[in-house]
Amino acid sequence: MNNPLSQGNGDPSPYEPELGSLPNGSQTGDDETVNKTGTTTIGITTDEGVVIATDMRASLGGRFVSNKNVQKVEQIHPTGALTLVGSVGGAQSFIRTLRSEVNLYESRRDEPMPIEALATLAGNFARGGPFRAINPILGGVDDEGSHVYSIDPAGGVMADDYTVTGSGMQLAYGLLEQEYEDDLSLADAKSVAARAIKSAVERDTGSGNGVFLAEVTDEGVDIQGHEEFDAVI
Amino acid sequence: MQGQSQQQAYDRGITIFSPDGRLYQVEYAREAVKRGTASVGVRTPDGVVLAANRQISSPLMERSSVEKIHKADDHVGVASAGHVADARQLIDLARRRAQGEQLRYGQEIGVETLTRSITDHIQEYTQTGGARPFGVALLVGGVEDGQPRLFETDPSGTDYEWQAAAVGGDRDVIQGYLEEEYREDIDIDAGIELAISALNEPEEESVAAEAVDVATITTEDESFSTVDDERLESIVAEIDTEEQDE
Repeated sequence: MNNPLSQGNGDPSPYEPELGSLPNGSQTGDDETVNKTGTTTIGITTDEGVVIATDMRASLGGRFVSNKNVQKVEQIHPTGALTLVGSVGGAQSFIRTLRSEVNLYESRRDEPMPIEALATLAGNFARGGPFRAINPILGGVDDEGSHVYSIDPAGGVMADDYTVTGSGMQLAYGLLEQEYEDDLSLADAKSVAARAIKSAVERDTGSGNGVFLAEVTDEGVDIQGHEEFDAVI
Repeated sequence: MQGQSQQQAYDRGITIFSPDGRLYQVEYAREAVKRGTASVGVRTPDGVVLAANRQISSPLMERSSVEKIHKADDHVGVASAGHVADARQLIDLARRRAQGEQLRYGQEIGVETLTRSITDHIQEYTQTGGARPFGVALLVGGVEDGQPRLFETDPSGTDYEWQAAAVGGDRDVIQGYLEEEYREDIDIDAGIELAISALNEPEEESVAAEAVDVATITTEDESFSTVDDERLESIVAEIDTEEQDE
């Protein structure tokens, strides 16, 4: 075991995945060749569950639209979802790793992983791992209620009632600061989230091409894509 | 003669099954557990009681140096019977796993999960060449999601969950007593009393208060605490009066 994170006494490292290992070295590729989701992603908590909204654009260096139909929110837990923000490769790998961790946790312990535990684990991986250039939102529902966390590239994990990450965050926050209320219903939160994505899509070059909306409740995760905003606003 | 020497070999290597499918080294490890003084665990609705007999071999020995009950984490205690040094290795593993859970998930480890990680480790020592199995049985007690839980680990690496259990010397007598006397709805003081009475059962005279080590993990504060000598003395005195009345 040459891994510097390994503790040498058989104890598993809390900073690396159970399966697979963390590649050494920094992220390869420059701005012009790595697909990035410039992106606007939003998470809002309500009493009924969590709403996550993302735009649909992938770009190269923020100057060329490399894909117009990207689903940037993925289910990673029976009642939890994560957004892809930053390097597409890093985010996809991050999602695969967390999914397997969630499944292992649940099959070993016969109970679903608490969302706070998942957020802590995601923060540990982001901090120690190869998933450097990412800035996702984790949203989920468990026994404690609805949760939204932003996870930054250095492993910072912050819980909030609503949060935004990505290049269009300032535009989306502008709308949310006016429209968010403590007692939003799930349906109203979906509409507010879609309008915030629309604001960002109109003015941020890294965001565009429509909106994906995920509804996370104690029943599960439902993700729908919409190229037109009219249907969801 | 050759047949005999072959037969003897089955109990030497830990990784070798006998023709009838037994692992003799694991069975010998269970014998080592029986040579140790007993420990008892009792689960009540208010929490878990762990009690251990810590007889000393000489009045010159410092009693506090004989440790049979250990804190693994705030909400989990471990009592042992058998080889104390083997127990210490497993308890240190339990402490590391409990802290590892905090680092990895930011939460307290469940009693069942902790027990499983101990028994997984014990099992490795029944399947690894050149290794010796752990000559110790543990009682792992604690509070998980507000519920009291009590588990036993065995030298084979099997775990069992109990309402009340004994490990170590005179286990059968003590377990028999627990089966007779255990009630599900007793409070924590009655649990302590039951645990000490059970430890006393094989003895002619009742055990002195300073010869038992008792700890509780209650659902109220979810934290491990040892029962002080003063409280033990009053409980032991009470048991003595009850016995005289009978």
